[in-house]
Amino acid sequence: MNALIEMRQVTKAYRGVPAVTKVDFVLREGEIHALLGENGAGKSTLTKMMCGVTLPTSGEMFLSGAPFRFETPAEALENGIAMVFQETSLVPSMTVAQNLYLGDERLFNRIRGLNIAAQTFLQSLNFNVNPTALVSALGAAHKQMVEIARAVRKKVRVIIFDEPTAALTPEEKHHFFALVRRLKQSGVSIIFISHALEEALAIADRITVLRDGEIVASDDAGAFDRDRIIRAMVGRSLSGSLYRREAGQAARPVGEKVLSVQNVSMGSIVRNTSFSIYSGQVTGMFGLIGSGRTEAAKIIAGVAKRNFFNGGEVRLHDRSVRYRVPRQAVADGIVYVTEDRKLEGFFETMTIPENLYMGALAAGTAGGMLVDMAEMRAIAAEWTRTLNVRAINPNARVIELSGGNQQKVVIAKSLVQKPKIIIFDEPTRGVDVGAIAEIHQFINGLADQGLAVVVISSYLPEIMNLSDRILVCRSGRVVEEFGPDEATEEKIMYAAVH
Amino acid sequence: MLRGLNQERIVFTIAVVLFVLFSVLLPGFLSAGNLLSLIQNVSILGILGVAMAIAIIGRGIDLSILSTMPVSAAWLLTLVNGGMPIGLAFVCALGFVIAVGIINGTLIAYVEIPAIFATLAMGIVVYGFGKAFMTPIDAVYTGRGESWFYAIGSGRVLGIPSPVIVFALVAAAAFLFLRTLKPGRFIYGMGDNPLAARVTGIPVRPMIILQYVIISIIALIAGIVMATALAGINTRLALSTMVYDVILVVVLGGIGLAGGKGGIRNVVVGTLLIGILLNGMTIMNLTYTVQSILKSVILLLAIVADTLLNPRDEQTAQHGDI
Repeated sequence: MNALIEMRQVTKAYRGVPAVTKVDFVLREGEIHALLGENGAGKSTLTKMMCGVTLPTSGEMFLSGAPFRFETPAEALENGIAMVFQETSLVPSMTVAQNLYLGDERLFNRIRGLNIAAQTFLQSLNFNVNPTALVSALGAAHKQMVEIARAVRKKVRVIIFDEPTAALTPEEKHHFFALVRRLKQSGVSIIFISHALEEALAIADRITVLRDGEIVASDDAGAFDRDRIIRAMVGRSLSGSLYRREAGQAARPVGEKVLSVQNVSMGSIVRNTSFSIYSGQVTGMFGLIGSGRTEAAKIIAGVAKRNFFNGGEVRLHDRSVRYRVPRQAVADGIVYVTEDRKLEGFFETMTIPENLYMGALAAGTAGGMLVDMAEMRAIAAEWTRTLNVRAINPNARVIELSGGNQQKVVIAKSLVQKPKIIIFDEPTRGVDVGAIAEIHQFINGLADQGLAVVVISSYLPEIMNLSDRILVCRSGRVVEEFGPDEATEEKIMYAAVH
Repeated sequence: MLRGLNQERIVFTIAVVLFVLFSVLLPGFLSAGNLLSLIQNVSILGILGVAMAIAIIGRGIDLSILSTMPVSAAWLLTLVNGGMPIGLAFVCALGFVIAVGIINGTLIAYVEIPAIFATLAMGIVVYGFGKAFMTPIDAVYTGRGESWFYAIGSGRVLGIPSPVIVFALVAAAAFLFLRTLKPGRFIYGMGDNPLAARVTGIPVRPMIILQYVIISIIALIAGIVMATALAGINTRLALSTMVYDVILVVVLGGIGLAGGKGGIRNVVVGTLLIGILLNGMTIMNLTYTVQSILKSVILLLAIVADTLLNPRDEQTAQHGDI
């Protein structure tokens, strides 16, 4: 079969950090091609370059043999490439029919005509969706159908699905796969990004596995089985590479049980999860995106709003706690270091000392009612030294720092609050390699000092490297717990994927 | 070099340039009498600007101060005219503005209504409530009372008109509050990044209530100054466009509407420019319409200059999903 899209030596770097490196990728005509890989492996970036969301930094891309470079998603769509995103791009307050014809309206529109046309079109696809229904009232599967119908209506040749089945029930998945096969029969090529290996094996013609921005395996689906895919995703052979701490350190002994979570639920994201946290060790929480690990941590630290907290109990030592705001958790010595430091981590117009002092003021570990400038400078000097924050000017504003230094400031801002339990959510996301090592070393130091440390990460090597205990999350709950002697990357990955 | 040129400095420079120009070109501008009246006329605007600045720095806005100010002051005068001792009347008015501040703050912090809508509605409520139950007539004049009370707005200390002194005191108190007190720092933190403030453990919602209570109290002070300076106050002021002048002073001084930026110094600078401008235009005998046009053009210029010199950091605004 002919190559429909071909990428040669394509590289995409965000601010110098490569997301995909020198990738050769071929999508053949009329095939279903599954893209697999861990979070951050580069699957989304690869497809975003095809559909005009981002441009490659270097390399060439060919569509039916002709080189292409789409500046916008609209341009890609004109050339027959559509992407269906995880979060749908439909307008919730409009009807299905209005969404289908969005952007193609004539000057005067007859609503009834629009509805009839939409009805006919949806029926031709065998979609059971009412064209007059509001999109906001539809379930996830129906929204997906509308999204797909919109792509098909534009007579596209390639549809890229990003995690299409994550929000679907088994019944809906069944329908979805039937649809994908029909699309294939009508000559549309499909790229299918997924975490669900069984689905990929069942539906795809070919499978490509990415790791750290490179393609590590690309073959006919028949040549893969679950083991081979996981081996490729993880990057090591199944030679039983047991969990082992770097530099031969033994895992720390289990300390006192400081916090236990019992049957906590929050909406459909956290489902009846239970686990415990011990002092003097690092508890790693591994899970793919959407596995509810961040949300569970946010419930513990009072960051999640209580309205969404329905059921279960969190016990700090022997006391049942239910924090409505983070302030109460901070007062009890529980801090949460966010995964999105720009959104809810630091104060961007403030300097490093001001940021740190804000943490101390909020926790009451420094200052009374009055701001003490000398104390502020002392705290800043102490922590920038401890964490090795490198800034040209000690009074630099945090927004001017590199990602690694920003992260260190956010960590320091939490540590000046003198916590007993500290939860790091993706502590090294968007951080340069040098700073990653420093932050890891520092996290280990905290556990050695007797703190209860939780590290949430979707990056396996990080979890393997730091943890004394590993909890694996899937579909909103902790599904498995590994001790230091039993965890292998493969076992963890098996537990984490569907 | 150019980076150091922020909006505050630009506005200050424009103010100085205008001052020099008016001094040279306009006869009578530089006289001591005119300069004092210049500051006096903008003092009330400046006091309200301080209140508005506290709201905006904390990523809020308070459109109700232009109702709170005349209604509370008019009620105070009504009570005094009815025979109540001034001290007691003041306590009543203070209680009223604190209640307004608490309601504003509760609506914003706990009910989570955007500040602009909560205070817009509250402004109308306060005006209506005041007219219905507190001061049935629009204009209330000062009658009975002790001379020290009138001195608040119409006296002089060392030759300086007292409204100017009140403005200076309010500005100094607000400056110290924002700079050196813990709640002041928290207001900056909330304005800079409300989510980070929450995660850090700042008591965001109580702080919002405190913020709007302080704002209402400053509004009462402005009202007392205005009432005693003009020997009366008209509650219809709530229906005027003065609130936009207050916002103009604050934004012109360089306090970003996004919050977390600027300080009382910016309010003083903004007030100075507006004062010089209004005074000069009055001496030149320009019509109100022309004055409005000039004011708005200068505001737009200041904002455009600030945007050009301090562009938003595009890199950090991006969220590259790899």
